[in-house]
Amino acid sequence: MLAHNQTADGNAGPALRLGHLYPDQLNVYGDRGNIITLRQRCRWRGIMLDVLPLQLGDELVPERYDMLFIGGGQDREQDEVARDLREKKSAGLRAAVEADMPVLAVCGGYQLLARYYRPAVGPELPGAAIFDAWTVHSGKEVARCVGNVALSWRESTLVGFENHGGRTFLAPGAEPLGRVLAGHGNNSEDHLEGCVYRNTFGTYLHGSLLPKNPHFADYLIQLALQRRYGIDSVEATLAPLDDSAEWQAHRAMLQRLGVS
Amino acid sequence: MRLTFAVGRIPIEIVVMPIHQVPHSRRQNRPPIGRRARSAAAVVAGRASGALARRLRLGGGTSLPGLVANRLDPEITAYLGAQLRHGCVVVTGTNGKTTSSGLIASVLRAARLRVWRNREGANLARGITASLVIRALPTGNLRRGGNAVAVFEVDEASFPQVMRELRPRAVVVTNLFRDQLDRYGEVDTVAERWRNALADLSTTATLILNADDPAVAALADADPLVNTIYYGVDEAPAALLEGTAAGEIEVVDTRTCPRCHGPLTYSVRFYSHVGHWACPSCGFARPTPAVRARELVADGLDGMSFLLETPSGAQEAHIGLPGFYNVYNALAAAAVGLALNAPLATTITALGSFKPAFGRAERIAVGERAVRLLLAKNPTGMNETLRALATGGRIGHIMLALNDYPADGEDVSWIWDADIERLRAIVGPDTQLTVSGVRAYDLALRLKYAEIAPQHVEPEIPKALAHALAQTPAGDTLVIIPTYTALLAVRGELERQGYAPHYWEQRDVGA
Repeated sequence: MLAHNQTADGNAGPALRLGHLYPDQLNVYGDRGNIITLRQRCRWRGIMLDVLPLQLGDELVPERYDMLFIGGGQDREQDEVARDLREKKSAGLRAAVEADMPVLAVCGGYQLLARYYRPAVGPELPGAAIFDAWTVHSGKEVARCVGNVALSWRESTLVGFENHGGRTFLAPGAEPLGRVLAGHGNNSEDHLEGCVYRNTFGTYLHGSLLPKNPHFADYLIQLALQRRYGIDSVEATLAPLDDSAEWQAHRAMLQRLGVS
Repeated sequence: MRLTFAVGRIPIEIVVMPIHQVPHSRRQNRPPIGRRARSAAAVVAGRASGALARRLRLGGGTSLPGLVANRLDPEITAYLGAQLRHGCVVVTGTNGKTTSSGLIASVLRAARLRVWRNREGANLARGITASLVIRALPTGNLRRGGNAVAVFEVDEASFPQVMRELRPRAVVVTNLFRDQLDRYGEVDTVAERWRNALADLSTTATLILNADDPAVAALADADPLVNTIYYGVDEAPAALLEGTAAGEIEVVDTRTCPRCHGPLTYSVRFYSHVGHWACPSCGFARPTPAVRARELVADGLDGMSFLLETPSGAQEAHIGLPGFYNVYNALAAAAVGLALNAPLATTITALGSFKPAFGRAERIAVGERAVRLLLAKNPTGMNETLRALATGGRIGHIMLALNDYPADGEDVSWIWDADIERLRAIVGPDTQLTVSGVRAYDLALRLKYAEIAPQHVEPEIPKALAHALAQTPAGDTLVIIPTYTALLAVRGELERQGYAPHYWEQRDVGA
């Protein structure tokens, strides 16, 4: 376990602050599971994780957060969110990203952090342009990318469920999150999934993503702790947890997809 | 014409010879091919396919007669539906379709009407066709001269097609929640489809809407000329509303006004987005319901009592169904009773005598034990089921089963949107908790993050059920909370052991 020494905040043990963007609008596909997972995995190690909502109209002040999360929503709500993101949060978000804050963007949130979203009809929606990538929706006649999905990620795998009508393409040089082992990924064509820029991760995987991928959840927590407390600090050392239930669910999905 | 299709893994081929291909000598003196002949052929082929499927014990195949008949005569549903002497009532919505239609059938039967329903699980368009075809004669006419009223529960995605084919005298919409996003799409998309489908409703029809669900109440905008009856809960005791949101993000499926998209405000919220709502931006607000409930009292898992108020009077009502949400189902049935002129006393009696439908708080005796089946297939359904269970205190024996077949929804993300944390009020230190289904490990993980430890995780449902029953002492009840196909698996296993009637025998076929 971690040493429960006093921190700068005067609390016992390390503490992290997670900014949850648009929790009321972007919460469609089990996004809550990602928050629950981050909170519990921190709690079980004596790390206090404060989840702070970033609502429509709120300014994003990077100094207030150690980590950011943005999920997926319905189309109508996405328009409203895209506008707010441009007008109220893009400068703060850009600063947080460039300062290596860990950011996780899932599904609609991933699309919003790319350069633009081009719907089948209507004008192009500019995004936050964190990722050098763009999304095209060719209309209702084109089948959605729906189903279970597995990726290679670093030396390991990620599993989840995807459900998106838009196809995302990465510019040359943009780094994908992983390679598709089973499922569609970004666009069903190039076998790439998600996008990474500095410590910002965009992905189509929900299911929810983090519960069945505890190594990815811990990677995000670790990045946040290192950034806040220094790379070699006691606080940035993650105590291991018993993840047998997590890996059982992860492996069951790999097996089912014929990936292992 | 050659029809090939598969039931389960068994391919079936039906060869139908259209009448103009029959050798001339055999069709002397026949009338020209017409509407009736085509319908008659469709009925005969449809019924034959159903009989065959059952003879071969192919199981399930409850939509098969509809599929076959519709291939031969694409207008068969409209043709047979128009013969219903007392018309039909169509029930749709995310949750409560089956129980509401059961209660409606009970009310109409008490009002001395013959009621025909579609079979359990056959709630897609072809299931509706099948339910008419199996009640038709080889002449292409409905049995008993169509002297019946049909009550059809219709899947929310099939609703537009069914509305094109039938001209219902009453349409009930229960609620709209996120459910199987991979199959139905987002709630906004569903609401829009429903609105379009209702635009062509006959002006003599009655639209029966849940006033407390803003997305449903707004459906009256689809056609302002249609007579609308709203139902709703006027007030509920705080005790029934406890346990909402476990300090997490609360999942609410409609947050903005269906008319102007401004944010909604609530003077009281019962669950998710259901309550007394108003839009300060455009003034749209919960319509005053004609059929209302107040003074709700929960009787554990055994039922609910409330005061039912309608334009024809107020009277104490009781239903043998647990949970706040079942009061809404009873109100929907009372509203249909009102629309079809059933006396209030008849409605009250019918509600009281109703036995829970297939897997909806259904109680099955298993030797000296009992099993209580509570279907939960989406976040709101799960939340309300857990809330209903919590009113009964701790439960000794629980089995949860999560499948991800198309009928369940292939995306199990929804378990993270459900307040599984509510189980903490139900699970005690001695509770035996079994987790099963194709996605048992996902469900076990969800429980872990709610800090609830299951005793036993077994993906195979028959094995898990055997284990859970063995843990349940004589005289005790095992509460099972399955998704849809997991419910079929549990019931199938109980049937195999001789404890439950086969599901296609459970409904009033042919009455």
